[in-house]
Amino acid sequence: MSAPELVGGSAADRERIAHELVTVTIDGRQVQVPKGTGLVEAAAAAGVEIPVFCYEPRVGAGIGACRMCLVEIEGMPKLQTGCTTPVTDGMVVHTAGTSEQAAAGQSATMEFLLLNHPLDCPVCDKGGECALQDLSFRYGSGKTRMTFRKRSLEKPIPISPTIALDRERCIMCFRCTRFSQEVAQDEELSAVNRGALSMIATFEDEPYRGPFSGNVTELCPVGALTSTQYRFKARPWEYEQAASVCGLCPVGCNVAVQSREGRVQRVLSRNHPEVDRGWLCDKGRFSYSHLYSEERILTPRRRGVRELEELGWEQALDELEGMIERAQGEVVLALSGSETLELAYALAKIVRQGAGSDRVVLPEQAADALDPFRVPISALAEAEEIVVFEECPVLDRAPLIELWLKQARRNGAHVTRIGPSGDIQRGRGEAALACQELAEKESALGKRLRAAERAILLWSGGGGAGGCHLAALAHALGLHEKEGSGALLLPASPNARGVAEAWAAAGDENRQPRQIGLLVVSGDEAASEPQVRQLAEHARATVALTLFAGDSGEWADLVLPATGYLERSGTMRNLEGRLQRLRGATGSPARRELSWLAELAGRLGVDLPGSEAALFTELSAKVLDGISLASLGDRAPLPPRVEAQTFEAARAESPPTLLGGPLELIRYRALFSGPEVEHVPELSFQRPAAEVEISPEDADRRGISGGNEVVVRSNGTRVTLRARINAALLPGMVRVAAEHCAELARGVEVSRP
Amino acid sequence: MTGLFAEIQAVAGRYPEPKSAVLPALRLAQEHYGHLTPEALREVASALGTTPAYCRGIASFYDMFHLAPVGEHMIDVCTNASCALVGAAQVLEAFERELGIRAGETTPDGRITLRSAECLGGCGSGTVVSIDERYRQPVKPEDVPAIVEELRRG
Repeated sequence: MSAPELVGGSAADRERIAHELVTVTIDGRQVQVPKGTGLVEAAAAAGVEIPVFCYEPRVGAGIGACRMCLVEIEGMPKLQTGCTTPVTDGMVVHTAGTSEQAAAGQSATMEFLLLNHPLDCPVCDKGGECALQDLSFRYGSGKTRMTFRKRSLEKPIPISPTIALDRERCIMCFRCTRFSQEVAQDEELSAVNRGALSMIATFEDEPYRGPFSGNVTELCPVGALTSTQYRFKARPWEYEQAASVCGLCPVGCNVAVQSREGRVQRVLSRNHPEVDRGWLCDKGRFSYSHLYSEERILTPRRRGVRELEELGWEQALDELEGMIERAQGEVVLALSGSETLELAYALAKIVRQGAGSDRVVLPEQAADALDPFRVPISALAEAEEIVVFEECPVLDRAPLIELWLKQARRNGAHVTRIGPSGDIQRGRGEAALACQELAEKESALGKRLRAAERAILLWSGGGGAGGCHLAALAHALGLHEKEGSGALLLPASPNARGVAEAWAAAGDENRQPRQIGLLVVSGDEAASEPQVRQLAEHARATVALTLFAGDSGEWADLVLPATGYLERSGTMRNLEGRLQRLRGATGSPARRELSWLAELAGRLGVDLPGSEAALFTELSAKVLDGISLASLGDRAPLPPRVEAQTFEAARAESPPTLLGGPLELIRYRALFSGPEVEHVPELSFQRPAAEVEISPEDADRRGISGGNEVVVRSNGTRVTLRARINAALLPGMVRVAAEHCAELARGVEVSRP
Repeated sequence: MTGLFAEIQAVAGRYPEPKSAVLPALRLAQEHYGHLTPEALREVASALGTTPAYCRGIASFYDMFHLAPVGEHMIDVCTNASCALVGAAQVLEAFERELGIRAGETTPDGRITLRSAECLGGCGSGTVVSIDERYRQPVKPEDVPAIVEELRRG
């Protein structure tokens, strides 16, 4: 068993205490555990189970709310709650298994918990995986003495479009409200009233908007908080489960993809303690239904006289083969960074070896410069000093990192954010400069970083060179010499580094076609990039591999249906550099890419295996040091650090001059955006509002107040948006979500209409 | 920005964490608005850098915070054990009769709210009745008409 987790106190305290051992006797079994260990954990170490409902160490120390963990402790006159009691040396404990008093207490607790709990297990989504159901089966009396009517309340109450609340089933364990207050720190879910009238509520009729809200459905030990998407869809024993990894951002949270009858029914966390600690963001949890959107394309389509027309696969491959031939080696591949290594490798092989071209458009790159400073994400929780170069909000790029930062702050870390709305305000393009300043000997923050035993640097946005700037700083601070210190870059796409490796593995020539005979666009993200769209205008022909025809349908000559990340098997490299396995859920309404790519490769005379495993073996031999797929396991290990080299202090380039207007437009990709989220109706309430964030100074100067309708314009483009005053924003900048930017240039003016 | 907002911020300044000032802040807001309306809770939340949901959770726990409108005068009759033993039920009934309303209601003219309360901490001489946060004790059923008359004149 792994070491019991200690809760509270500083990292140093916990380290010191962990070395002292105490001996306790639980139900006659002696066990030695580190001082400060909770009784529930100590009992587990002794092989004794103390049942719990409210206790969940991930949301904080025990609070003894449910009383299920009552035990008898020698020398104490009354029963004690195991979850709030740290063991002491020589403690003798009798649980319900050996103490009549404890058993009576537990059985009375069970009776109280069931007092008002409806007997609706047959129609409750939690049935089959319900702690209350399981524990009443094991500890309950089987008979009730309650002859009066149970409480009946309005139900289910949608506390958001994704979560339903059934107050009759709630046993007031406070896991959800503690998650909201302590972990997500959104404080949107709270307990109202007192005693028997207590209940869980959001404010008025406002939805629970926090981006991590879905975790409460997994934390709830009963069927009080359930997912609306999953409501009445299936039973837990009917599933086929795939141990996969979320492919929506570079964190790569470990997920369990559960499907029934060939359809994904829900996505749950699979707790990789170094990556996600069992939490998911709502984008990762609720996006799966995009796979069954009516707008998804499932058959190949070709540009007809007026619109796209469907065609069979045989014809589509004929068409594609013809396009490749006619391009005469002038082929360009645009990758999204959402492909698995295997898929990117297969595409790269066809383009480099089959079409005889070597030009690629890669997503914003994540360089290998940070490999000497590699740390697991979980190291953030133990860090003393964290500096975030935050040109793009961490939450939008890698949401789980934001949760780890909250955890770090809760554990006493200093978190300093440097960016347009940070603690230290810096404009766009100035992050590199800020890096150089911190590296200087006299910088106060730099001194703190040097002095800290555990310091971590994060780079969120601000161009592909970020890794080099950060590496130079990390090297100057000596972070490669300290365990638990390091530097991480949050790339814009889930597998930016992986697809670059895959591209490199497929060839080493560098033939740059002067014209574009054929543009191959992989993924909806690439298809929505303005840069790729421009290339498409210059290309003689374009083929797109996408889930939806929204963007590509406007300009592609041939659109081939893609599969979603939940349907794909393969590997992805996350922001730490951890190579993790995706295992596709059973069944996909679209044909697997690797199947038709292998067929196409055959026609072009390229040797391309059709299975992910064979592709991985090939890739591994070329660029992954021959590691095996099996060595990645279910919870992939972090590769070791590489030797630090000396770093040239990277040159900070000056920000480009603004054209079009005096205010700099920050165009950001909001967390709840992208092709998947856009096709999930339950998440539409989370989509970014059509608003422009502006600093109070700039707003005053233009006579704008919050909520005003304003016009944002540049170079002939005009967009009407609502103004939102952001007091944290650096004057001279405005922020607009990418989907509301239209063709606005970097420099804009904002005015009343 | 209202005077209330500034007042709350001033109180919050006395605590290491602004959120710790939630009780005095709610108190100020209640004095300002009469009861804690959703707007009042939003204002407290924004002044303390927390959420209205958090503030409502706190406010709904305490009897002295009102989430719905109450009368100009507030009568709380203790009905807990010690007072119950010396006739609190009869005292409450006398108030109900005299005011023509049930416990938990407000007179139609909006003047007086009657509530039954848990222990008010004056168990030595029950029945304890709190009138606008001032105690009268002991109160007997026959004292009630005079008290009500006094409030109506008041």
